Amino acid sequence: MATATAPVPHTGVTGLLRNRALAKLLLLAVAAAVLVPLVDSRWSSGTWPDALTVDLSEPLGRASDWIIDNRDSHPLFLYFFGHVSNAVVLSVRAVYLVLLAVGWAGVTAAAALVAWRVAGVRLALGTAVAFLTCGLLGMWVPTMQTLALMVVAVLASVALGALLGLAAGLSDRTYRALRPVLDTMQVLPAFAYLLPVVLVFGIGVPAAVLATVVYAAPPMARLTALGLRGADAGVMEAVESLGTTARQRLLTARLPLARKELLLGLNQTIMMALSMAVIASVIGAGGLGDRVYQALASVDVGAALAAGIPIVLLAVVLDRVTAAAGERLGGESKSPWTGWTYAAVAALAVAVAGRLTDRLDWPETWLVNIAEPVNRAVDWMTDHLYSGVPYVGGTADWAGHFTTWVLDPLRDGLQWLPWWSVLLIVAALAWLIGTWRTALTAVLAMAAIGVLGVWQPSLDTLSQVLAAVAVTLVLGFATGIAAARSERCERLLRPVLDVFQTMPQFVYLIPVVALFGVGRAPAVAAAVVYALPAVVRITTQGLRQVDPAAMESSRSLGATSWQQLRQVQLPLARSALLLAVNQGVVLVLAVVIIGGLVGGGALGYDVVFGLAQGDLATGLVAGAAIVCLGLMLDRVTQPTQRRTKKGA
Amino acid sequence: MSMSTAAEATAVEHKDAGPVFAVEGLWKVFGPKADRVPGDAELAALTPAELRSRTGCTAAVRDVSFEVRKGEVFVVMGLSGSGKSTLVRCLTRLIEPTAGTIVIDGEDVRAMDKTRLRELRRHRAAMVFQHFGLLPHRSVLDNVAYGLEVQGVPKRERREKAREVVAKVGLEGMEQRRPGQLSGGQQQRVGLARALAVDPEVLLFDEPFSALDPLIRRDMQEEVIRLHREEGRTMVFITHDLNEALRLGDRIALMRDGRVVQLGTPEEIVGSPADDYVREFVRDVPREQVLTVRTAMRAASAEEAGEGPALAPEATVSEAIEAVARSGRTARVMDQGRCLGVVDSDALLEVVAGTGGRSSGSATGWSSGSATERSSGSATGRSTGSATDPAEPAREGMA
Repeated sequence: MATATAPVPHTGVTGLLRNRALAKLLLLAVAAAVLVPLVDSRWSSGTWPDALTVDLSEPLGRASDWIIDNRDSHPLFLYFFGHVSNAVVLSVRAVYLVLLAVGWAGVTAAAALVAWRVAGVRLALGTAVAFLTCGLLGMWVPTMQTLALMVVAVLASVALGALLGLAAGLSDRTYRALRPVLDTMQVLPAFAYLLPVVLVFGIGVPAAVLATVVYAAPPMARLTALGLRGADAGVMEAVESLGTTARQRLLTARLPLARKELLLGLNQTIMMALSMAVIASVIGAGGLGDRVYQALASVDVGAALAAGIPIVLLAVVLDRVTAAAGERLGGESKSPWTGWTYAAVAALAVAVAGRLTDRLDWPETWLVNIAEPVNRAVDWMTDHLYSGVPYVGGTADWAGHFTTWVLDPLRDGLQWLPWWSVLLIVAALAWLIGTWRTALTAVLAMAAIGVLGVWQPSLDTLSQVLAAVAVTLVLGFATGIAAARSERCERLLRPVLDVFQTMPQFVYLIPVVALFGVGRAPAVAAAVVYALPAVVRITTQGLRQVDPAAMESSRSLGATSWQQLRQVQLPLARSALLLAVNQGVVLVLAVVIIGGLVGGGALGYDVVFGLAQGDLATGLVAGAAIVCLGLMLDRVTQPTQRRTKKGA
Repeated sequence: MSMSTAAEATAVEHKDAGPVFAVEGLWKVFGPKADRVPGDAELAALTPAELRSRTGCTAAVRDVSFEVRKGEVFVVMGLSGSGKSTLVRCLTRLIEPTAGTIVIDGEDVRAMDKTRLRELRRHRAAMVFQHFGLLPHRSVLDNVAYGLEVQGVPKRERREKAREVVAKVGLEGMEQRRPGQLSGGQQQRVGLARALAVDPEVLLFDEPFSALDPLIRRDMQEEVIRLHREEGRTMVFITHDLNEALRLGDRIALMRDGRVVQLGTPEEIVGSPADDYVREFVRDVPREQVLTVRTAMRAASAEEAGEGPALAPEATVSEAIEAVARSGRTARVMDQGRCLGVVDSDALLEVVAGTGGRSSGSATGWSSGSATERSSGSATGRSTGSATDPAEPAREGMA
């Protein structure tokens, strides 16, 4: 060995890496030198050439028309989609009626008692307070609508996800087939799911529920498969050595061993279902999301906040209760059934009492109207903070400057670049960070955007994403490093991050509209706020997980803390940082797209416009472009190892 | 290791009842087209590295044959990667062997169908694992009862049986704990209890104490010795720890690169290593604690046969040294009142130094193929004397 390595003294590990990176770039440059003159001479234009565009709007429009015409007559709709749709409507309706019949006191009591059983007294109190707050804000009925939709969607998602996960967990072939699909589904923005279901089911509750199911089932499937496959091999062998049948192995060992993952899957599915149930208000979900949507449409921040607060409370309660259920695993519970019996009896008693006293609806007199004071505050802000504040300027000024000095040049620059150079940049970045496979997928996805004929709006969206990602990374890395270095800083940050990470995307639009009005800058701001917690968290974790022995040895050599950070922590946390970038990009894209609702324009607006005008073709093309953009951004920033879970 | 007379009696009783396990020409090859390796004489003769480069296959177990007799503790010992864990898993086909035959009580294990194999695992051979393999979500009691649950034993009955076994391994009062709340040694006791609860014919141990602290390991070894003394159950014990092998084993199969390089009693392994590898392996073993006085014995002159302290033939050399040192004369080796020979301080010293030119008795002329038959006499006989049972005759002689 020694003689073999001796003649090549200059190739250390870093040298080799640099050489490999250089080799990739060189190869790409050669390919470009051959191909670019060729394509440039044929299709010379700054933007995507028309000759390479396929206009899908006409066939899509025809398809959508055909579906609308045949929805009531074609057997496929009559005997399949019709039944699905009816079943969904009926079950949502049934759950909603039950919730109303139980009454506000009964629902609150039941929720609190369930929380008490699975998560303890403190969370039970928190749950009760959250539900009562929903009532106080005058949002009891919308909350129940959202809850009914959620119950049905979560049950369906869990059933579907668990089945898929079971199949993937037990069969290698299914797992290999399913994994890339699930991985990809998890990086797509929620908006991309809306149009296909609308195309089939039309706007309404069935479409909303099904979009939610499709969006929320993947984490359950993923984690179920992961849990089943991750069962301790030693335990499984021991169980087999005792002569168990395959069924016994699954039921008594594999499934119980995966309980943590199953509950985590339930938690993530619930959170994603809530997030989507709110967004699905755009396609007729009703409930809290609809209130926010309507209020945002008329820039009524007070009303949006009154509906937004219940969403946040619901999210926090659901997350904490399900997470606590997972953490409590392994603790002994002496007689689980007596506790549940007490809880059931108490909830029933409260519900009956509410019925007897005829107080099912939330009392009219117990309302706190926050919309007006909030709107007055917003008006005051508009008058005093928007602009003209001495020295610092105003929020609207900032938004304006950000648009003029950052977003506009970035967008114009991207759109000015020749189309082939955009592809080249994508290829180079993806190849440097990942493999040739990810690079190829990224380039193909980007080219597909051009083929779809939405090159310009996509680059507009891309410019917003890039700006937001840059801001997110600067802020996120700085905060993450600070939190990793100081215990106190992390303690302060943790509860904030916890709350921010549980909130649905939609809610972030409310404060930014209050602060910055409408436009592209607020959309970017919302995206930054949404993606920041995940980036901070991953950065902190990555830096903290750096091998303490390496840190200690560098300290023993007399490295300053700055040297330690630069020479030990950051290089060793490289994969975590890349993961943070990847997550940041995916999360930012999701919100930038939703920003179409508050004047973000571009692809998100096309989707909303398509829905609002019934012009499904435009919306579908934009949706497909969103999918491609999401795929491209994910692959470009894909480090060699996959992320394990989505940040939100 | 030592067995009580009761255990020895059962062992002797079944001596002619045929072996519990008979393994013949067993192969386990991992890799592409593994089947061709055992049948091909040329491939079978390759070293592991050559085999891997030629075929991409790894032979974990290579042409292994041995028999496990009823009531004995059969130890398979070797360093990591020697194939011993694969071997024990082949016995109940947790790993499917590539070639060879395995016979349990006259029944061909490799020919068993699924149901029959399940029967074998449920009732006849239970295994104890290095990393315990306990179900973390079940209480100690339910873990122990698991094997019975799998068999479909009613709840009350299996709990009763489990409680009994839990008490037997010394875990009373911990029935309701979870495995996560126990120490490593306690967890392994649960693993042992789980295996015992199904009342198997053979207990298989796969490096059960390797993950434990030395002190706890010693406790557990004594626990196994005690259990074996009480129940006389047949045991196959896998270990990489030579001292453990010598302590527990009636017979030891020493493995290297998938082959058995020597099979014999601890005394044979230590006293007459089959090759340099084994010699290197046993070099640091305190020989006087393993070898018996037979090794150092010479014929007695008429004068010597009449007096001096008496020793049993199974007494260890270290015991003989004590007797010789105390009395200051040669010691007689007595078997049922008959003097077999004498040992003097020179001969004993030579054994300790490892320079003894004469190796006597069963230890001479050892060869790999005939080890099974050859060592049969001393396998059960040897274990009556030694460490935990100071030779009575020596005391009498001194008094």
